[in-house]
Amino acid sequence: MTASDERDRRVLDLYEQLLEIEQRLIPTGLHVFGRPSQTGERVDMLKMIASFDRADVGARAFPDLIAEGLGLTHSQVSNNPHAQKETELRDRQTVDAIISEALNNFLVNGPEPAIDWLEQTANVGAEQSRPMFKLLENVSSHLGTNNEIDSLLRALRGDYIEPGPGADIVQNPAILPTGRNTHAINPYAVPSAIAFVRAESVATSLLERYRAEHGRYPRSMALVLWGLDNIKTQGEGVAQALWLLGVRPVRDALNRVTNVAPIPLAELQRPRIDVVMTVSGIFRDLFSPTVQLLDKAVRVVAQLDEPPEMNYVRRHVMEQVENENCELDEAMIRVFSNAPGNYGTNVNFMVMDSQWEREDTLGDLFVTRKCFAYGRDSSGRAIEGIEARRALDRALGRVEATYQNIDTFEIGITDVDHYFEYLGGVSKAVEKQAGSRPAIYLSDTLSRDAQIRSLEETVRLETRAKTLNPKWYEGMLQHGFRGVAEIEGHVTNTFGWSATADAVDDWIYTEVARTFVLDEEMLERLRNLNPHSAHALVRRLLEAHGRGYWDVEASVLDQLRDIIGSLEDQLEGVA
Amino acid sequence: MNVSVLYVGSSLLAPLKNAERELNRDYKLNLRLAAANFGSPLSDSEWLAVESDLKQAEVVFAIHVMDGENATRLITALDNYATGHAAVIVINCMPDLMRRTRMGQLDVSRLLRKEEVNGQKVEGEKRTSRRALAVLSAVSSWVGRQARGGDGKQNGKQNGWRHGHGQYLKVIDKLPGILRFVPTAGAMRDAKHYLNIFCYFLQPTPKNIRSMILYALKEYVPDDQLRRVKVAPLERLPSVAIYHPDAPKLFESFEAYRKWYLGRSAKSKVPRLTSAHAALEPQSTVGLLLMRPQVVSKTTRHYDALIRAIEAEGLSVISALSTLMDNREAVTKFFVDDDQSKVQRPKSNARTKDQASKTEDRRPKTGAKTTDRGPLTNDRSRVSQIVSLTGFSFVGGPAMNDSEAASEFLRRLNRPYRSAVSLDTQTIDAWRESQTGLNPVQAGMQIAIPEIDGATEPFIYGGIPASGVEPVALNDRCVRFARRLKRWNRLRTAPRGELKLALILFCFPPNKGNIGTAADLDVFPSLWDTLNKLKVEGYAVDVPETPEVLREKLIGGNAENFASPANVAYRMNVDEYRRLCPYVNDIENEWGGAPGTVNSFGSDLLIQGLQLGNVFIGVQPTFGYEGDPMRLMMARSGAPHHGFMAFYTYLTKVLDADAVVHVGTHGAMEFMPGKQIGLSDECWPDRLIGELPNIYIYSVNNPSEGSIAKRRSYAELISYLTPPIENAGLYRGLSTLRDLLMSYRQANNDAEREHLFDSIEEWSRELNFPAPVIANRDMVSRTDVLPS
Repeated sequence: MTASDERDRRVLDLYEQLLEIEQRLIPTGLHVFGRPSQTGERVDMLKMIASFDRADVGARAFPDLIAEGLGLTHSQVSNNPHAQKETELRDRQTVDAIISEALNNFLVNGPEPAIDWLEQTANVGAEQSRPMFKLLENVSSHLGTNNEIDSLLRALRGDYIEPGPGADIVQNPAILPTGRNTHAINPYAVPSAIAFVRAESVATSLLERYRAEHGRYPRSMALVLWGLDNIKTQGEGVAQALWLLGVRPVRDALNRVTNVAPIPLAELQRPRIDVVMTVSGIFRDLFSPTVQLLDKAVRVVAQLDEPPEMNYVRRHVMEQVENENCELDEAMIRVFSNAPGNYGTNVNFMVMDSQWEREDTLGDLFVTRKCFAYGRDSSGRAIEGIEARRALDRALGRVEATYQNIDTFEIGITDVDHYFEYLGGVSKAVEKQAGSRPAIYLSDTLSRDAQIRSLEETVRLETRAKTLNPKWYEGMLQHGFRGVAEIEGHVTNTFGWSATADAVDDWIYTEVARTFVLDEEMLERLRNLNPHSAHALVRRLLEAHGRGYWDVEASVLDQLRDIIGSLEDQLEGVA
Repeated sequence: MNVSVLYVGSSLLAPLKNAERELNRDYKLNLRLAAANFGSPLSDSEWLAVESDLKQAEVVFAIHVMDGENATRLITALDNYATGHAAVIVINCMPDLMRRTRMGQLDVSRLLRKEEVNGQKVEGEKRTSRRALAVLSAVSSWVGRQARGGDGKQNGKQNGWRHGHGQYLKVIDKLPGILRFVPTAGAMRDAKHYLNIFCYFLQPTPKNIRSMILYALKEYVPDDQLRRVKVAPLERLPSVAIYHPDAPKLFESFEAYRKWYLGRSAKSKVPRLTSAHAALEPQSTVGLLLMRPQVVSKTTRHYDALIRAIEAEGLSVISALSTLMDNREAVTKFFVDDDQSKVQRPKSNARTKDQASKTEDRRPKTGAKTTDRGPLTNDRSRVSQIVSLTGFSFVGGPAMNDSEAASEFLRRLNRPYRSAVSLDTQTIDAWRESQTGLNPVQAGMQIAIPEIDGATEPFIYGGIPASGVEPVALNDRCVRFARRLKRWNRLRTAPRGELKLALILFCFPPNKGNIGTAADLDVFPSLWDTLNKLKVEGYAVDVPETPEVLREKLIGGNAENFASPANVAYRMNVDEYRRLCPYVNDIENEWGGAPGTVNSFGSDLLIQGLQLGNVFIGVQPTFGYEGDPMRLMMARSGAPHHGFMAFYTYLTKVLDADAVVHVGTHGAMEFMPGKQIGLSDECWPDRLIGELPNIYIYSVNNPSEGSIAKRRSYAELISYLTPPIENAGLYRGLSTLRDLLMSYRQANNDAEREHLFDSIEEWSRELNFPAPVIANRDMVSRTDVLPS
């Protein structure tokens, strides 16, 4: 490769990284109950909705329709961020520009002119694009009204409140109108056929990413499974676990998923990966048949007559039984959750309240809370949360990579404390048991082509797209008091990734300090709107330095200390 | 003589045991009837017992078996022990099991292939015989068809379920008549036997179940004594009707029921019973949906207790028998005033001449896609709420659910829909002991699926005790549930100005700056808008001038005096707390003596909030152990702290709120320890929420935690939209870098690109974009790549 080729590649790579930030959907503010969605730029969201097939209304994804109309192949217009050729990038941008134009046309003139325009510009037949425009029109009109308070009042006078699905608007536009009684799904439907298909490429990308970085497949992985994404995706996270194990779901005569069948190794073309599943208390509750299914999958795989180098589950189970005088049943436990009736790892509470001295404590806490085994015993009897600390310790001790599926841009890894308590918590526990930090990955299944990112990459992306982005924080600050609390919450959740996984670059804290604290005007705004949260934010930055996560010049620290002093004075005056 | 019955449900065991007893008494058969509930997967030891029964059985019945695991084992066992079985009678099971029916010459697998029924095989048969075979084909395949109907939305909308349901109803009513003309000899002999047995099964009175067993023994077990026995004719009951425990019979019309009910109320000596004048007033009448087989088989003790508990609260009851597959007929017939329903019934365009259309006519047309969204049918309902006790979906029955049709029907009726649970596939004792509560099969069938119809209040009120053969009521649960219904009713009927509401905010992590925590929601403006609307609607609320004033009143006020994050609305003295709360001892075991250190001040527990007229704005305490490393390190937490308990005690006992509204995603109450689903009175969320109707304003993007609130604190969710979303865009240095990269891509000559590249490198360093670190694959040795 010549120097100029290398330069081109670097430029393309940087450009893709910027594009990834630029096009990432972010919330721009908060919702006010009962008020219609604020009509800002609606085109970005509609574009995202239009980028997926919508089988329920017979609509095909616009990027596919347009690429076909222009005679481009799919691979050229996929959202794969690591386009290797300049031409690919250009084709993709062409398609993208046509979609934007069509949607702007639609927003101004309505569907019919946009349909005509698309036909003339990109040879997309009217009957092809109309179903999607109808869907978008429906979404737009729903967003212009809001009956949430009316629904509340109807509930208060004992009327029937209609049920509705729960999801984000891009995943499932049928969540509109809101003001309905959100429901879960039938757990026996999980994973759906579509979820299983979508999960294959994610599982493959995940393994390939690890292989590219480590030269071989991971022998054992720890997965975090939540109800949140599995309800909305009909079990993509569950399906990913099944793919890693190399089994497919089997439906019974009533169309319920109650069994699994191994995918032959010849078809799988790779070893079966051992997976340790730490599931949230909520997943355990909402998906109890699925918990049984996952347990069954592990047991089926462990008992396949296959060479140990192609079946890591079997290999590990045999080793454990032989070397440690361990019962077969114990060696096959892979599904763990909280004690019955308990939820959460408490790692988040401990981090937020600064109640820890050594990082090990956070990993130990995770294991203490999550070491309850679920599934069936050898006689087929359901076990409901038997404490199995040794089994979890042993299983985590073999783990080389940890992973969690993310399904929505609305709830990202710095938006809530739950990602760091789970994925961070399990990674810290692995670090102790295995003696080295695992590779930590997240998938992002919210775009057309699911992507695997390392935790560090994801923290950078979330920070750039949200926390440090004026579009995001100004949107929050429009909400005054609550907005400041949101900003502080993001900083604390970011700090959670330092505490549990040391995954936050120094520059991130530096930029946070520059943006919100060292900028006098901004600091003034924050302390006027919500001095309590402003104080908490500065205190957290100092804690990041104090615990060794932020290497920063002494002068900056001095400034922060002065500021926190003056905030404390203010609070005492205010309080 | 041995009979083995594998069944699903809670109504069969009692009549089966009764049949065993009576047949032995009357005929000295030395009959042993082994029955096993196949409702949830059996453990290995349970299965071994069933298998040994199957080995000895001369006649086997399999009824309503659909569970994959049990069915697979059963199929194998039926094949293995076939030689010992004189007859295998499979009713309403999954297709693979239906095919295992073995009765003389009868070949059900052939009937399952529909074309052969209509084809040559039956040509030349008498017309009635053909009809009988067609019915047999239909009944033997309905489970399969139901499941297929549930396969995808598309199928569910077609005639599949409706046809199936119409047929099922028709079978109940018409089959005995058809069978009278079918010859008992020749090719039709065994088909007729099957259908006769099926007729007994469809009307599972104790007498009919006894006849069903006797009939099978007589026809298929060679025995001289049995051959002479005369089996009693079928006892028939209406397919839909109104039931009441005190009534001498079932009522086939509302008018007949009303007449009886009013007469009874007038004579009643029960002081709290509704006066004759107010009885069956639509505003205070609960419509109950009961399982028909339970009523027909006289296993109604759980229903009876619940009906009486509801009446004891001063509400009237109309209890309609449900036909299992579709509750719309019973609801339309008994819960909706007939005369007006004729006026409002939408015109049906495509009417078939099919007899089944007679039953369909009475149902409002409900195709979701074709209906207009208007007018609601408030005024013609005879009930103020509907409570399903069937444990199945509203439309569709056990094998599938058409929730779109269900919610459309209920929306038009506009009466809240609740679904309470009697334990069907686990005993009361097993449920009490279980730390998880309902087993997965029931959780799916009786909770998750009814929720999709919009059902609320997943309350356990009865079940089969370990030592019993039929369901009984959990009496104090019935009383609690009845009181919850009563409170919901009050929300509907009391003057708004008298109603007391509690709107609860969260504060997490505990910090004054976080009062009003909720995912994606700006709580104070939301609350302020809501208060204003409540005022307009007639609730007595004093609304502060602005959202900011509201906030300042809440976080300011007297907060400082108590070093509390928010204003203290009430100080509950420890003595009062002990007097009002029956659970203090349990909490003290966990948290030490009251008042403890959380949310307390001296000997008082502090209730944070603000009273605005009849509306109370409260701040829910947090878990209380956030800052306590010792407690955080515990694998299990045992109880909420005193402050938490005091807060809900205040709402229920001091404030005596009529309803609570939790504002935003999410609080701590629904995550308090207890069973995961199907709570008992030992579970903390159940104790905390007590009798309070609970409405929860919840993010539409969080169905999972929202479902925990629905199931563990009986919340009705009102979803809210997430914030507007846009592309993140680029800003500051990032847009500069983007411009440089664009220039590079557009540059014409290498020198320019080289020059630009230097700036790009500089900016990318400044903006912390490291060079990519993907490992070079060539550097990895070959042996490492191979799985080791």
